[in-house]
Amino acid sequence: MRGTKRIDLRFALLLGLAAMLLAVVALAPQLCPHDPNAQVFEVLQPPSWAHWCGTDRYGRDLFSRVLVGMQTSVCSTLALVVLITIFGTAVGVACGYWGGVVDGVCMAICDVCLAFPPLVLALALAALFQGGLAQAVAALAVVSWPKYARLTRSQTLAVKEADFIQAAKLAGNTGPQLLVRHILPHVLGPIVVTATLDVGTMMMELAGLSFLGLGAQPPTAELGSMMSAGRSMLQTHPWVIFAPGGAMFVAVSIFHLLGDGVRDHLDPRRNIYKR
Amino acid sequence: MKQKRYSWLAGVVLSLCLLAGCGSSPQATQTATTFVLGDTTFNAENEEPDVNPHNAYSGWACIRYGIGETLFRYTDQMELEPWLASDYEQVDENTWVITLRDGVRFSSGRAVDGQAVKKCLEHLVQVHDRARADLMVRSITAQEQTVTVVTQAPNPTFLQRLCDPYACIIDLEAGITEEGMVVGTGPYVATSLVSGEELQLVRNESYWDGEPGYEAVKVVTISDGDTLTMALQAGDIDGAYGLPYASYPLFDNPDYTRSSCATSRVFFVTMNFESPVVQDPAVRKAMAMGIDKQRFVDTLLDGNGYPASGPFPQSLSFGGDAVKAKAYDPQAARDLLEQAGWVDTDGDGIREKDGERLTIRWLTYPSRQELPLLAEAAQATLKEIGMEVVIQSTADHNRIRKDTTAWDVYASAMVTAPTGDGEYFFSTHCLSTSVANNGEYYNETLEQLAAQMAQTFDPEVRGQLAVEMSQLLLDDDAFIFCSHLQMSMVTRSDVTGLVAHPCDFYEITVDLAPAQGDGV
Repeated sequence: MRGTKRIDLRFALLLGLAAMLLAVVALAPQLCPHDPNAQVFEVLQPPSWAHWCGTDRYGRDLFSRVLVGMQTSVCSTLALVVLITIFGTAVGVACGYWGGVVDGVCMAICDVCLAFPPLVLALALAALFQGGLAQAVAALAVVSWPKYARLTRSQTLAVKEADFIQAAKLAGNTGPQLLVRHILPHVLGPIVVTATLDVGTMMMELAGLSFLGLGAQPPTAELGSMMSAGRSMLQTHPWVIFAPGGAMFVAVSIFHLLGDGVRDHLDPRRNIYKR
Repeated sequence: MKQKRYSWLAGVVLSLCLLAGCGSSPQATQTATTFVLGDTTFNAENEEPDVNPHNAYSGWACIRYGIGETLFRYTDQMELEPWLASDYEQVDENTWVITLRDGVRFSSGRAVDGQAVKKCLEHLVQVHDRARADLMVRSITAQEQTVTVVTQAPNPTFLQRLCDPYACIIDLEAGITEEGMVVGTGPYVATSLVSGEELQLVRNESYWDGEPGYEAVKVVTISDGDTLTMALQAGDIDGAYGLPYASYPLFDNPDYTRSSCATSRVFFVTMNFESPVVQDPAVRKAMAMGIDKQRFVDTLLDGNGYPASGPFPQSLSFGGDAVKAKAYDPQAARDLLEQAGWVDTDGDGIREKDGERLTIRWLTYPSRQELPLLAEAAQATLKEIGMEVVIQSTADHNRIRKDTTAWDVYASAMVTAPTGDGEYFFSTHCLSTSVANNGEYYNETLEQLAAQMAQTFDPEVRGQLAVEMSQLLLDDDAFIFCSHLQMSMVTRSDVTGLVAHPCDFYEITVDLAPAQGDGV
């Protein structure tokens, strides 16, 4: 019982942190003390009361840019994760339930995608798409959905022969009804855990593409592109890279810990204790 | 408990091991007999894929890395002096007799005589469009140590053109390798080349003008300025060309030597006259008034330059403020666009006209480290006047700029007057016959003045013509000249002789050597 309480407390704390982060992201434009794109301040000022994170080489307020950059990064990442989760899950459930030619073709496509190192393939695709944030999201989506499809497919295969599914069939449920009402709820747990754990990873990968110039384009503030712009000043004006780097560290840590928390929370062994 | 303590200990040890990899002292990995130069521009992106002077701008690599030499060269005061030549005589307006220096040999061992020079120059004008247009050679004859060149028309800058890196004298009997290596007369001999990666050179043992200071030289292409900075700090290279200005403070200490000088290199924006939006004179003029050159120079160039008015620097009589450029005036630019019908109808801060959004596609490239910064600075100030700038900064710019439907303005860097004369810039960039007239600019008056300049020998009159022609470019807003640059090279303090030159042609010379006390 003691262990369960500790998990609950930790999970609640992480949920609170994640909620705070999302609130900051949602209200970023309102929270900015200055216009994030205005090149009007003295350049490369160290952090001070006037500029909490200092200013960059163009004379822009870094705190404002970090807030807006965080919004860009987090929103793009969430959109990406939602996209690949929905698409991957839909494909996986369909393949697992119906099987046949569709299953063969989809899994062959998955195999092809998984045969490449994901970031290298994403780099190639993003370059092919001519760069840009939406294109970077699309490139990462192309290389990331197969994981969800495979996971869902294996879960569906395990569940579809269960007695309760047979009973549901006898009760007159059609295929889509079975999928939505009976199979999907049973395979959703691992998918949610994977998706939550993936938010941090995807955020890093998206920032990686932006760092290489294939993601967000100027003047859009995005944590990866801000770090890239500041890397030449790492030795002389470190705050220019530390500000977006720190924000990235905090956001990714929260999402990773939250992913762990969700996994623990949905852990079947934990439910045994509960009983 | 004990296990937990060990895991902490293991964590600390691993962290220390990781951190140990971060530190390094600036020690060269090469021996003292090899000099390693890092360069951001020795690549196809800058039209220098190899060291063959008869190919694109590769002559710059040939002369910079001490492989080739020209018949004439510039002194530090930009005065012309014979180099492989010993003397010259202009017999009439079209005929030049050049006497070659005795005792000069190619690194292949062949003597540099009239025949060798004749073959080299004939091949040059046959394969190199820019050289053919510049030199206007009708015929070349050779007799022992003299070469007589007859031009198709009077060519007042003939000798200056022979200083251009494309005119490096190479041994065509030895040939040009598949990789683009040539045999020249310089202090170093190319032995291997991987385009865009590295060039290996060894000392020319039979060099005619002294003993080169190093046994070998390696030129490494490092297109990223930050990587170049760290390579120099780590001691992987001994000298660097093309460091970002932001890195200079790291080398202002006794461990390094920085050689700087003002050059005629300019950051400038070419307007694409094939682009419908740029064809609108109001848009071009508004852009010229909407870029804050002074702030760019002060902040992003760290003061290593000054705002440009026209194409030529203030050190030349026809440069600097001899021409009048439009001043930064965002309010006037806004008014101008408003009058021209460009109005922000949807309130998003960007103007529209006839349903078309005022968007400018800005093409540039990253190997000149500050060009992307110029793009982003201009993007911010132009947005203030209601103009959206979409930046494309790519190493592939040389292919894209040839497609005039793919860009609206092209920002690049160029040495406008390497010869100390204005004709070079106009003939390469502004005329209907120019090989680098990227924006398809045409002005009848300019063409006439260029023709007049080509026939004019008097330097004063040429200067006046250069002013008049520069002003025409500015009045048409065909180009925006943003800043003139200070050029610097940084070496470790145990190296001497890598000295910046105003024309930016000469880098590795016979004078390059280990500092005294580090004997070869």
